[in-house]
Amino acid sequence: MNDKKNKVSRRQFLNYSLTGLGGFMAAGVLIPNLRFAVDPVLKQASAGGDLVNVGLSEDDITEDPQRVDWDVEQVDGWYESDINRTAWVFKDENGDIQAFSPVCKHLGCFVTWEGSDDYPDEFFCPCHDGRYYKDGTNVPHTPPLAPLDVYEHKIENGMLFLGEPKPREGA
Amino acid sequence: MKWTPEDLQKYVQAKEYIDTAIIPVLGFQMNDEKKLEKEAFQREVLSIYTNEIEKELSGRLLLTPPYNYVKSNDMSGELNRLNDWIDHIKEQPFTSVFILTFDNQWKKNEKDLNAELLWFPSVQTGDIKSEETIRMIRNQVDQISELIRTYW
Ligand code: FES
Repeated sequence: MNDKKNKVSRRQFLNYSLTGLGGFMAAGVLIPNLRFAVDPVLKQASAGGDLVNVGLSEDDITEDPQRVDWDVEQVDGWYESDINRTAWVFKDENGDIQAFSPVCKHLGCFVTWEGSDDYPDEFFCPCHDGRYYKDGTNVPHTPPLAPLDVYEHKIENGMLFLGEPKPREGA
Repeated sequence: MKWTPEDLQKYVQAKEYIDTAIIPVLGFQMNDEKKLEKEAFQREVLSIYTNEIEKELSGRLLLTPPYNYVKSNDMSGELNRLNDWIDHIKEQPFTSVFILTFDNQWKKNEKDLNAELLWFPSVQTGDIKSEETIRMIRNQVDQISELIRTYW
């Protein structure tokens, strides 16, 4: 009697745990499907190649590089988050708009325009004294081995739109 | 560099360039319920500070795992444990180690710490995404990065 009772509860226990496990596995299968279904929608809002208005009008862009910060929504694996982006924006001598990524090509610190008094008219990286000319090319014999990445850009209704930073050929 | 597989791989390859470590130091307690919300908010703010600083200076700086502890008035045990962390990190070697915290107990024990203490007075609970908070944080981050650079 006692034994039987025991057995039932043991079977029950097994049953429960199997159902639980099954449920868990089903969830595991469902998650990728859900992501699949949700992804295209999210992509529209994300940084997936779309250029976003960074809140700077074309008229305010001068020959002096200025720092621009903006947010983009990004879906990255598990995380969906706002990431902030930064660019150095200016007009070059031909009047063309340039937008450089501030990320140093050595080990990734942020460079600053005229960040060092010793090197006017250059971008300067405070971490290991990396330097770049105004056109973004790395100064030889400083740690960076490639020029600063360039943002895709366009002007729409007088406002600056920026996209993804793209690497270019080394100097 | 952050404490992530990708960044640590980079760190190992570029160790000679990375001489500064930052330890976020985060206390918590559950006795005083009135303080829970505020302390949780400070935790968020501190993690934004450290992430932003890491972003600006990532090529020379390693963000270590955060040091967590239960807040109390007797800090001697924690002081020893944190100094163990610092000494362990310094062996790599790191020439500068900074600890970032909102807990003023560390300020009182600053002279016994084997690292530079960056203590922030507590901030009021608010909307972490509001313009005002963001501006406040950006400003603080600039100042902290500048301070760290003076050690280089
Ligand atoms: S990270 Fe810029 S010079 Fe090293």
